[in-house]
Amino acid sequence: MSTRRSASARLEGHPLTPYLFAAPVAIYLILFQFYPLVQEFYLSFTATDLLRPSDSTFVGLDNYSFLIEVGDLHKVLGVTAIYTICCVVFAVGLGLLAALLLDAPFVGRGVARALVTVPWAAPSVAVALVFTWMFNAQYGIFNHGLRALSLPFGAENWLDSPNLALPAILLTTVWQIFPFSSVVILAALQGVPQELREAAAIDGADRFNIFKTAVWPTIQPTVFMLVLFVTIWSLRRFDLIWLMTQGGPIGATNTLVIELYRQGFVYRDLGSAAAIGMIGLTVALVITVIYFKVTQAAERAQGKR
Amino acid sequence: MGTQTTHLPRIIAVLAMLGVASFPIYWMFVTSLTPSSELFATSPNMLPRFEQLGIYLEVFRTIPVATWLWNSFVVAAGTTVLSIALAILPAYALSRFRFAGIAILGFALFATQMLPEAMLVVPLYAIFGQLSLLNSLFGLILANTAFVVPVITWIIKGAIDSIPLEVEEAARVDGCSRIDIVLAIVIPLITPTLAAAAVIAFFHGWNEYVFAQTLISSEALRTASVGLASFVGELSTPIHSVMTVGVIYTLPAVVFYLFAQRYVVAGMTAGSVKG
Amino acid sequence: MSSIRFKNVSKSFGQKEVIRDIDIAVDDGEFLVLLGPSGCGKSTLLRMLAGLDTITGGEISIGDKRVDHLPPGQRDMAFVFQSYALYPHLSVRRNMTFPLLMQQFRWWYHLPFIGRWAKARIENAPDVTAKIEKTAKILALTEMLDRFPRTLSGGQRQRVALGRAMVRNPQVFLMDEPLSNLDAKLRTSMRAEITRLHKEIGGTFVYVTHDQVEAMTMGTRIALMRDGIIQQFGTAREIYTDPANTYVARFIGTPPMNLIEAKLDGTGVSIGDTRIGLPVAFPQSGYGEVLLGIRPNALALSRESATGSLPGVVAMVEHIGAESVIAVRLDGARTAHEADESMDAVMVTVPGYTEFAAGEKVFLMPDATQAVVFSATSGERLRP
Repeated sequence: MSTRRSASARLEGHPLTPYLFAAPVAIYLILFQFYPLVQEFYLSFTATDLLRPSDSTFVGLDNYSFLIEVGDLHKVLGVTAIYTICCVVFAVGLGLLAALLLDAPFVGRGVARALVTVPWAAPSVAVALVFTWMFNAQYGIFNHGLRALSLPFGAENWLDSPNLALPAILLTTVWQIFPFSSVVILAALQGVPQELREAAAIDGADRFNIFKTAVWPTIQPTVFMLVLFVTIWSLRRFDLIWLMTQGGPIGATNTLVIELYRQGFVYRDLGSAAAIGMIGLTVALVITVIYFKVTQAAERAQGKR
Repeated sequence: MGTQTTHLPRIIAVLAMLGVASFPIYWMFVTSLTPSSELFATSPNMLPRFEQLGIYLEVFRTIPVATWLWNSFVVAAGTTVLSIALAILPAYALSRFRFAGIAILGFALFATQMLPEAMLVVPLYAIFGQLSLLNSLFGLILANTAFVVPVITWIIKGAIDSIPLEVEEAARVDGCSRIDIVLAIVIPLITPTLAAAAVIAFFHGWNEYVFAQTLISSEALRTASVGLASFVGELSTPIHSVMTVGVIYTLPAVVFYLFAQRYVVAGMTAGSVKG
Repeated sequence: MSSIRFKNVSKSFGQKEVIRDIDIAVDDGEFLVLLGPSGCGKSTLLRMLAGLDTITGGEISIGDKRVDHLPPGQRDMAFVFQSYALYPHLSVRRNMTFPLLMQQFRWWYHLPFIGRWAKARIENAPDVTAKIEKTAKILALTEMLDRFPRTLSGGQRQRVALGRAMVRNPQVFLMDEPLSNLDAKLRTSMRAEITRLHKEIGGTFVYVTHDQVEAMTMGTRIALMRDGIIQQFGTAREIYTDPANTYVARFIGTPPMNLIEAKLDGTGVSIGDTRIGLPVAFPQSGYGEVLLGIRPNALALSRESATGSLPGVVAMVEHIGAESVIAVRLDGARTAHEADESMDAVMVTVPGYTEFAAGEKVFLMPDATQAVVFSATSGERLRP
């Protein structure tokens, strides 16, 4: 890649051209993403009311200490961690299974591959709407099904139950995002050489061994990158959770972003909201750094092990 | 191994998976077509009652769906045009140029993926207030574009990467400036990817909720996402009417996406899949 | 017992029949070569033998056991792929140990910790390590055992692929154009290696190639295929001296056998105005149009005519060094060489450097004892 870039650089031209090309987008992003980010950073050290945004009082680290000591920050982090980990495990896992199922040729495979991406195409608001109805205590289809199977459950609204709310949200989220995983992994599966699978089959490997030895090494980088993206997105996910539970009941589905929004728009405390935002961002950065370190180490180990 | 396999367990698994994937949408459709008398019955109605299709027209009378859809369309279309226009040049720069700033630009684009809309909506609200962009669809377009440009840029960059350099060198020899090259050579060659990027940007604008909710206050400018969201969880509006609006809102997205999905998938995975 | 029997084997992909009625028997310990141009079906036949593709009709047996319904891992065969198909994330040692590991694999080896321990136990077992080291020694891989495939050259990877096949001590070794990805020099030395391996370890080898030199030098018997049908099945010598049809005649040999249009009567052929007597009589006269097959080295060139010599003009001369190739356009006679031969000429080889030059009038004297006759319509060999 760098040889082609330097070769391209030899295509002389005005020395300012690269900067001119990059400038519009850079300015745009600075204006609408980074400047607000910096503002959030400053806000996190102030006490500011939503309705009087220009009237800020500097309070130093008060917001942070309040969150950590008195506020439920550890609970929010816990919920966020569970939500994120479960999202990654189920969305990537189901995506992998779906991709493997859709990989071998069969009649109607093209249609199946197109249909499986439908959840991803549906708007979050619509998804929240229909799933909320499906989780309804008396009339929701899930409870109908549980009662039909004569199981003891099926009486309460999932979203109102402290125990069932997070699983319900997870169900909804995983339903929406596993198609994306399956599409990405399916693309990676196309890069697996057929002869490698055949060699393993001839060597007497069963299906799992064929997967472990011939398929997994090729798709592993893609799956790892997918894990990173799903993790980061889980930290950001707002629409579904806010619309369905607003973080309740009793904080059962209260992730960092939800708590942030509530602090800002319900309690009108922009300072605390900003502080949570900064904490969330730090978590995301730490995860990204860890991810890159781990993948580099894994790549080195693969070469030596 | 080389021939088609039609194992029964696989067929069942695939059908189960497709069933799971399509059931909620199907359910939304069925509920929209269920008469009021049966909505709260003890055993649920599982099949669509097509004689109820009149509700799709009726809903336009009772709920300002048409306004909502129009606003959503304007926002989505505006986001598409603006984000692609903004993304092409930096995508080209990331693919072809090598200088100190480029690495920073690339990293910055990646870093924006970590920023939640819910976090930035507060300062953006303040900024827009100062710029008098609040309560305007144009403002909403600007906000959405900021969040979708990084992804679009990455996709387009991937497509430009696969154009051989020789094509551009030949144009250079013929006396084209960089801009000419981009407009006359690069863009025509990456049209499928641009189409995929357009689909992604359009859906981002169509589906977006947080900014549409926060930055727009007047009812006349409300988008379908916000309008529909106002029904989530409440039972005063008839459920089948609500679901009808849901279907109307979802259908364009899903249908359009099903047609375009081959290109979207190819566009998205071209750059990100390592060999 | 590792003889192989193909009984009326055929294969179709949908409506398209790619292999038609293959019926041959291969003896225990033979080196069978499946030879032919791309698309003739040789690789497909090999893959059907291995179990990687299914058979549409017929049976395949090894020894006296029918195998065509068995999955690939249960046929006691090893397969060497054209692209070697080495496991990229395993060291050379682990690549070679893999088949042995799979032989002893139990379902619970998939479990996380127990599995790792059990696999390590197998890998470090003395008989396993001994086998690996012995195989590595035969293939000169001992220094590379702990390296990874991507750090190896093409020839080295080839040997690892061979090693992985050998450790299993299979009854049958299958090889799908294993030398095609190597450069010419390496190919020559690896050819000798494989032949040596065959002698050393015994076993039946089935080898697919499009290169006739490989086929002629390595195989005990060759099956020359075209469009899914075996054109001839025999030893290298038979195929060379006794071709079954014009396709075989033109496939083997560089330059290939000449085919000259002629008329056959009972005791000889007439080419143009010349009559050439044949050592054997063809009792049924009236064959009419035939093709006379004669190898380039069975023709003598002279500036003077003689009885039974064919007049012509030298079209082109190529000096190869050890021999010269001379293309001669015959007066009043035509060859039946393929249309893409830009010259309708008879090729003659003579040892060393030749004095003949383009444009000269010459006379060709065929050695009738080495001549063969084909039907001009069907291309089939006519026998007396």
